[in-house]
Amino acid sequence: MNTPGIAKLLQERVFTLSLTLVILVGVCSLIWPDTFLTFSNLSTLLLNISTDSVVVIGMMILLISGTFDLSVGSVYALSGGLAAYLAYNYGMFTPVAILVGLGVAVLIGFINGLLITKVGINPLIQTLATLGIVRGIFDLMGKVATLPEGFDALGTSRLMGIQTPFWVMISLVIIFSILVSRHVFFRRYYYIGGNEKAARLSGIPVNRLKVWGFMLSAFLAGVAGILFVSRMGAVPDTLGKGLELKIITAAILGGASLLGGQGKITGAFLGVIFIHLISNILVFARVSGQWTDIIFGIILVLAISLDIFLKKNAEIRLTESLRNIYQQPKP
Amino acid sequence: MAAARLLLSAISKVFPGVKALDAVSFDLLPAEIHALCGENGAGKSTLMNILSGNLQPDEGEIFLHGEKVVLANPLSAQNQGISIVHQEKSLVGNLSIAENIFTENYPVKTGGFIDFPELYSRTQKLLQTLNITSLDPRTKVESLSSTRQQIVEIAKALAKNPKILILDEPTAAMTADETETLFRILRELRQKGTSVIYISHRLTEIFEIADRLTVLRDGKYQGTFPVADMTIKSIIRLMVGRDLEEQTYTSQQQKNILLSIKNLCGHKFHNITFELRAGEILALAGLVGAGRSEVARAIMGIDPAEKGEIWVQGKKVIIRNPPDAIRYGIGYVPENRKEQGIFPEMTLADNIAVTSLSSLARKGFIQNNQVFSPVQKLVEKLQIKTPSIQQKMINLSGGNQQKALLGRWLMLDPSVLIVDEPTQGVDVGAKAEIYQLLRALAAKGTAILLISSELPEVLALSDRVLVLYNGTLTGELSREEATESEILHYASGLARHSP
Amino acid sequence: MKSFAPTLWLLLFTLALVACDPSKGAKFQEKQTGTQVDPNEEYVMVTTAVNMPMYVNHDQATFKRWGEQMGVKTSILGTSEWDVQQQIQIIEQVIGTHPTGLLINGTDPSIARAIDKAVEAGIPTVVYDSDIPQSNRHAFLGTDWYEIGKLQGEALARLLNGKGKIAYMGIVGMTNMENGFRGLLDVLANYPDIEVVGKYNDEANVEKAAKITADLINAHPDLAALAGFDSNSGPGIALSIREAGKTGKIVVTTVDWEPEHLKLVKEGGINLLVGQKRELFVWYGAQFLFDMVHQTNRISGNDKSAGITNVPFAVNTGLFTITSENIANFLP
Repeated sequence: MNTPGIAKLLQERVFTLSLTLVILVGVCSLIWPDTFLTFSNLSTLLLNISTDSVVVIGMMILLISGTFDLSVGSVYALSGGLAAYLAYNYGMFTPVAILVGLGVAVLIGFINGLLITKVGINPLIQTLATLGIVRGIFDLMGKVATLPEGFDALGTSRLMGIQTPFWVMISLVIIFSILVSRHVFFRRYYYIGGNEKAARLSGIPVNRLKVWGFMLSAFLAGVAGILFVSRMGAVPDTLGKGLELKIITAAILGGASLLGGQGKITGAFLGVIFIHLISNILVFARVSGQWTDIIFGIILVLAISLDIFLKKNAEIRLTESLRNIYQQPKP
Repeated sequence: MAAARLLLSAISKVFPGVKALDAVSFDLLPAEIHALCGENGAGKSTLMNILSGNLQPDEGEIFLHGEKVVLANPLSAQNQGISIVHQEKSLVGNLSIAENIFTENYPVKTGGFIDFPELYSRTQKLLQTLNITSLDPRTKVESLSSTRQQIVEIAKALAKNPKILILDEPTAAMTADETETLFRILRELRQKGTSVIYISHRLTEIFEIADRLTVLRDGKYQGTFPVADMTIKSIIRLMVGRDLEEQTYTSQQQKNILLSIKNLCGHKFHNITFELRAGEILALAGLVGAGRSEVARAIMGIDPAEKGEIWVQGKKVIIRNPPDAIRYGIGYVPENRKEQGIFPEMTLADNIAVTSLSSLARKGFIQNNQVFSPVQKLVEKLQIKTPSIQQKMINLSGGNQQKALLGRWLMLDPSVLIVDEPTQGVDVGAKAEIYQLLRALAAKGTAILLISSELPEVLALSDRVLVLYNGTLTGELSREEATESEILHYASGLARHSP
Repeated sequence: MKSFAPTLWLLLFTLALVACDPSKGAKFQEKQTGTQVDPNEEYVMVTTAVNMPMYVNHDQATFKRWGEQMGVKTSILGTSEWDVQQQIQIIEQVIGTHPTGLLINGTDPSIARAIDKAVEAGIPTVVYDSDIPQSNRHAFLGTDWYEIGKLQGEALARLLNGKGKIAYMGIVGMTNMENGFRGLLDVLANYPDIEVVGKYNDEANVEKAAKITADLINAHPDLAALAGFDSNSGPGIALSIREAGKTGKIVVTTVDWEPEHLKLVKEGGINLLVGQKRELFVWYGAQFLFDMVHQTNRISGNDKSAGITNVPFAVNTGLFTITSENIANFLP
C-alpha cells in the first residue's frame, strides 16, 4: 500500500482501534497462554461489554449531533430497578414490567429533549439535573434481592453457550451501525453536529431530531439496565453510578468528538471493548484501585493527542494538494 | 528608494509543494495609503503574515527606514512599529473596549493592580484622536455592532503607535456610511504620517482611499502603480490575468407571480409588501441592520413573522419552519457562510446533498453512488474547484464554498431562491461566476430575492430594487431608476423629503 | 498501529513489570503448619473502594500479613470508588485466571451470581463482612448487623434513661445497614418515651452527615441522641454537635474504631462505638480458603467428591464496644 493510503487509514479510528485491540489480545495471549485467550475469558468479557455497548450506541448518536446525556447511568438504574421492583413486589407480568421500565426511560429522555430544545437549557445542566433527580427516585425505591423466573431468563439464558445480553447487544450494534451510517434519519445527526445553524437553514428539523436522540439514548440505557438487572438477578444500590463518564470516554476513544459531527457506531463499540479489555488485562495483571484510574487517564490523553497529531499531518498534506489545484494557471 | 519607510525585496516563501510568494517586492512610502490587490490565494495573506512576524521568508530581505531587519515574531514586528488588523476578530466579547485595546499593556499601579481611571482616560484620548466620541471605554465589546468592533480593532492596533498599519478587508461587514467613517480615520492617520497597507476585494474603495496599489497574482509581483493611472478594468486584468467578460444585462422576468408578501410584520420590520415574479431578480437593499435578513428569515420560517401573509404561486401558505418553506419551493442561501452555511468538517458531497437527502435515498437508505452522481454533475456544472467531491468543505476556498451552497439549493430546483450577501469574501473571479449562475437561474424561471450590501452588485444583477430603512420599505426602484446615490438616499431614510 | 503505539508500550511495560515475578520457580516451602505450601498459590481478595482507610488499615493489612505468614501470594483487586457493578465484573474475570482461592467482600446481594460462577468453576470462595445468603459461597465470616443496631439501641436507652428524641443515619438502602436500623428500632420499640424523629441517608459522606446533624439540631432543639451506621456518620455528627456547642448534651453512638473515632470518644464527642473485628474475619476467611485447598481437616476420604465443604458454614466474629471507660486500651 502506498503511503497516503496508510496515512488515510491511520486517520480512521475504527482501523487504529481494531489494530490496537488485535495487538493487545495477541500480546496478552503470549503472556498468559493458558488463561487469556480462552472461551471462558472471552465470553465473560463479551458478556461484560454487552450492557455498556448498548448504552454507548445512544450516546454516540447524541455526540454525533453535538450533544450528550449525563443521565444515562441513572436512567439505566431506574429502568432496571423499576422493572424488577414491579415484577417482584407487585407480581407484575414480566414483559409488562419491562415495558413500564422502558416507558419511563423514554419519558425521561423526552423530558430531557424537550427542555433542552424548547426551553433552551444547556444539555450539560439539564442532563446533570436529570442524573440527580432520577438517581434520587431510584434510591427511594426499595431494592430487590431475588427476581422472578421469567425476568431472570432474559439475562441468563444462553444461545450457543453465550448469555442473551451478548446477543441483544450484538444485534443492536449491527442494526444501529447500518442505520447510522446509511439511513437518512440518522445521517441528519451528522449535519446537526457539523453546524446546527446551517442544518436548520437547510430544512433539517433539528429540535425534533434532538428530542428523538435523547429518547433513543434513554431507551437504550433502559434496555441495558434491564439486561444487567436480569443477569444479576438483583439490583445493586450503586447500579449505573458513574456510567455516563465511562460511556462518554468509550465513545471518544471510538472516534466521537465533543464538538459533534464525527463518529461511528462501530467505533463506539470498539471503544467499549477497548476499555473493558484494558480492565480485563488489569485484572489478569492484578492491578487495582487508583492505578486503574491513572492508566485509563493516560490512555485517553495519549490516544487523543496522537489522533490530533495524525490529523494535523494529514491536514498539511491536504493543504499542499489543494494549493496545487488553486494555483493552476487560469485560462 | 531611500525614502521608502518599508522595503521588501525579492521575498519568496515556499510551502511544501507550492511557492506562495515568488520574489515579491514591495515598497511603502511615509504617509501613504497603499492598496494590495489580488485574488484569494494570490499571496496577500502570506505577505502580511511575513510583515507581522507570523511567518519567516525563505528568501529576500526586509528594510525598515533603510535598515535591514528581521521580524522574528509578532512582538518584534510590533516593537518595530508594525501593527496589523486581521480579518478575524481578536476581541474578547465580555471585556470592555478599554481592556481590549490595552490587553498587552495595562497601565498598572504599584503592586500590579490595574489603574482603571488611567486606562479609561487613555482609551478616551485614543478614541478622540480617531474622532470617535460616541463610544464609552467601559462598554463591553460584545454589545457593539460589528462595525464598531472593527473600529475598536483599529484603535487597538493604533494604541501601539505604529508607523505602519496593515488593514485586512476592514470593510467586509460595513455599510457605505461606516466605510466613510473608516476612510476619514485613515485619511487623518495619513496626515499624521502613518503609512497604511490596505487590503480589500472592493476595488471601488481603492480608488477612493489609496494613493498607490500593488497587484499580486499566484504569488508573483505584477507591479506597483499610482491609483490615478488605473481603472477597475485594468486592475482586474492584472489580478486575474485576463479580461472578465462584460456581461450584457437582459431581463428574464416573466409574468406569473411566484411569491407574494402582504403586510408582513416581525421583530425588526413592519408592513412589508412585495411581489416576486418568475425569472425576476429582486434586490432588497438597505443598510446593515435595516431588517433585510430578518425579512428573509421570516419568509423562510426561521423566525416566523408575527403578522401578515405569504402567498406562494397564488396560494396562501403558513410557514412555521424551514422545512415548510422548502416544501413550498423556497430556498435560502444565508449570509455569513462560515456560521450559517457550511458544514465545515463534512465532505463537499454531503454539503450539497443536505437538502435533498430523502429524494436521494432509496427506502430511507443512502447509497453513496446515488448521491455521488448527481452531486458530481452539479459540481462540474458550477465549476467548483476541488480534487474530489469527497473533499472536506473547510478546505475549499470561499468562492467554491459559496458555489456549493448555491448548488445545495439547485439540487432541489426551488421556484424561489433567497440569496443573502452571496459574494461576501469571494474573490473577483468567483464573483463573476456567481453572477452568471444567478442570471442563468433567473433565465430558467427561478425567482431570486437578492440581499446585498454591495451596491455595484445590486445594480449589476437586479431587475428591481426595494430599499429598506429601519424595518420599513422606503423605496422601490426599477433597474432604470436605480443608481447608487438613489439607493443610498432611500436607505438612509430620507425618502419622504426627497423631491 | 502508530496511533496507539505509545499507549501500547506503556501497557506492555506495566504488564511486564507485573508478570515478572521473581518468586516464580522457587522450591516448595515447609511451613510451621506442616503442610506443603506452593509459593505460587495465589489468594485474591475482591473488594471495592480499595482506598477507604478502614479497608486499607484492617482488611487489606491483615490479608497481606496473613499471606506473608503463610508464604503464599496475595492479591487485592477492586476499584477506588464504591462500584458494585465493577466488583461483579472483576469477580467474573478473575475466575478465568484460576486463583487458588477467592475472598470476597459481601458488598451487595447482586454479587451472588458472580460468586456462584466462582464456586461452579471449583474455586474455594469465602465471603467476608456481610453475608450473601442467596449465593452458594463456601463460607461466610463477618458481623451480624442486626446486632450492631441492637447494641446501639440498648446503649441509647440506658444513656437516655428511656426517654427523648432520637434520629439515626447511614447508607439508606444498603442491606447490612437496613439490618442494623431494624435492630435499633426493635430495641427502641420497648421504650414508649423514646421518640424516633427520623432516618437519614448520609451516603457515607462526612459533610452530608454533618449537614443532616446541623439541620436536626435546628429543627429539634431538644434532640437527645443520634445513632450512626457507617464509618463517616460519627465524625460528621460529632462535628456539627461541637459547632452547635452541644457536646455532651446529645448522646452519640456509632460504628467503627478508626483513629478519628477513638479521638472523639476520648474528647467526649462520641459516647459509644460498636466495633467489628475486621482483622478476625479477614484472617480466618483467608485461612478457611487455605484449609479448603489443603484439606487441613478432612471429613471423608475425599471431601470434594463427597460434596463436603470442610470449613465452617458461617462464622460470627462478634462485636465489642468502646466507651470512655475502656478507650485507653485502644489508643496508641
